Amino acid sequence: MNAVVLIDTLLLILVTITAVAIIEVRNLYASVMLTSVYSLLMALVWVNMHSMDVAFTEAAVGGGISTILLIGTLVHTAREERPIKARVHWKALLVTAVTGAALIYGTFDMPRFGDPHAPIHHFRVPEMMAQTVGFANGTKGKQAPPEGFDAREYRSFNGRVADIPDDPTDTAWRETSVLAQDGIIVPKVIGHAAHAPVHDDAGHHPHPADDFNGHVPNSVTSLLAAYRGYDTMFETTVIFTAGISLIMLLRRPRRQGEAQVGAPMVDQAVLRVVTKMSVPFILLFGLYVITHGELGPGGGFQGGVVIACGFILYALIFGRAALYRVLPPPVIDVLTGLGVLLYSGTGAACLLLGGQFLDYSMLNRLSPGDGESLGMTLVEYGVGITVSMVMLNIFNQLAEEQPT
Amino acid sequence: MTHVLGIYNYWIYVLLMMIGLYGVIAKPNLIKQAIALGLFQTGIFLYYISMAVIDDGTAPVWFVDPQDPGQKFMGPYDNPLPHVLILTAIVVSVSVLAVALALIINIRRAYGTIEADQIEVMDQQDRLAEFRAGATLDAADAAELAGVGGHHD
Repeated sequence: MNAVVLIDTLLLILVTITAVAIIEVRNLYASVMLTSVYSLLMALVWVNMHSMDVAFTEAAVGGGISTILLIGTLVHTAREERPIKARVHWKALLVTAVTGAALIYGTFDMPRFGDPHAPIHHFRVPEMMAQTVGFANGTKGKQAPPEGFDAREYRSFNGRVADIPDDPTDTAWRETSVLAQDGIIVPKVIGHAAHAPVHDDAGHHPHPADDFNGHVPNSVTSLLAAYRGYDTMFETTVIFTAGISLIMLLRRPRRQGEAQVGAPMVDQAVLRVVTKMSVPFILLFGLYVITHGELGPGGGFQGGVVIACGFILYALIFGRAALYRVLPPPVIDVLTGLGVLLYSGTGAACLLLGGQFLDYSMLNRLSPGDGESLGMTLVEYGVGITVSMVMLNIFNQLAEEQPT
Repeated sequence: MTHVLGIYNYWIYVLLMMIGLYGVIAKPNLIKQAIALGLFQTGIFLYYISMAVIDDGTAPVWFVDPQDPGQKFMGPYDNPLPHVLILTAIVVSVSVLAVALALIINIRRAYGTIEADQIEVMDQQDRLAEFRAGATLDAADAAELAGVGGHHD
């Protein structure tokens, strides 16, 4: 049993206990606080499974924004759950037990946790990696697979790789494995198309061998923006739509004098000074997370949430009137749409420059890799702007409600 | 033992999902239901991320050794695709939560309560009153009327 499995086992036991407590505790405020604890535990689970970007998002979204939104709602609704007669709902228990048993029966056919033979580590991985790492710097959207790559043989792959020995300490197989061709564990790609200029005609410069070829080292970001570019664009639109729905559900015409909102914590000297000192750094960190997203864990979603948290902290201490002086509600509304526009505009720019929609290599024909970097950064900023402004808008709408 | 540890993560995902499902069905409080829906979603996230793990793997950020630039990969890497899917799913889940909370606030405005069972009783009383005031009766109303009869009257 290795360390990953051991830590995983312990963390998941804690997570399950917390989940039961969230459902069973009657005080809603306690339930919300436990949700925050649950999210932080989940972030630890994700880190343990090497999923840094997801951990980052979970900590920022689950531990931060969700808790703020839930508490904001509790203020307007109720702090306590109404007592119900029966503590255990037997019908629900029966339904969940049967469903759970069926699902657990299904897990017996799943590959072992961490099994390198699992189909997920092989199916469509070459195509994915071709876009992530770039087997070739084609100037048109479609990128060539590596030499000797047989698509037909690959598609008929049955999910088992014969050459992995059972002894985990034996690592020599990695040099020759078909997994190497799949791009998961390629030990050497020098001399591969990625390092050589594909086109000999003027204007195509070979990249220095010691950079990333202009390609994006954080594969999560490059998959997000390139391989699944359409998906991410419409996820951003989903968030945008949520922001619009919130405005339609909660915003009411503001009457004269109603906008004067108190800042109950502004006379707390320590809070005021600490907030004033930390807000610029929170915002700077948010921008760093968005910009750095292609080099390491981070990106538009995480950075956007961090930026929103900075503004929300400011509003909590100095009052929403102070926030509205910095960011008036109309500006927030316009920025919300501008992020989606920046994303789709980048895609349209690639289209107008002669490539396919969201083919970022079009943005810099001399160095397609740099063009991809640029395109992904623009797209991440689009996501970041929309996410931060929608979160801020949601917070403002909840806070503007009259307390009951 | 090894086999059990091998699929242990998938059992926890089932457990988390079912805790969430139980909460959605059994708890009449709407905020509790929204939170339980979140638990259900985290179960699915766990399922996806567990599948991405590979033995002796590391985070999928390509590492270049400055001494040996050709050494582009120091594998194996966990599969990054589920990470991408779940990354966006988490942000969508907070959007779902936000819209749900806005609806709950509106429900509270209209009904003065956020308990689903009380809201149902109030709805039935409303329709009963409408019917008494001379509204036409359709099949669905008739079925509900039969159920409400014992409640009040």
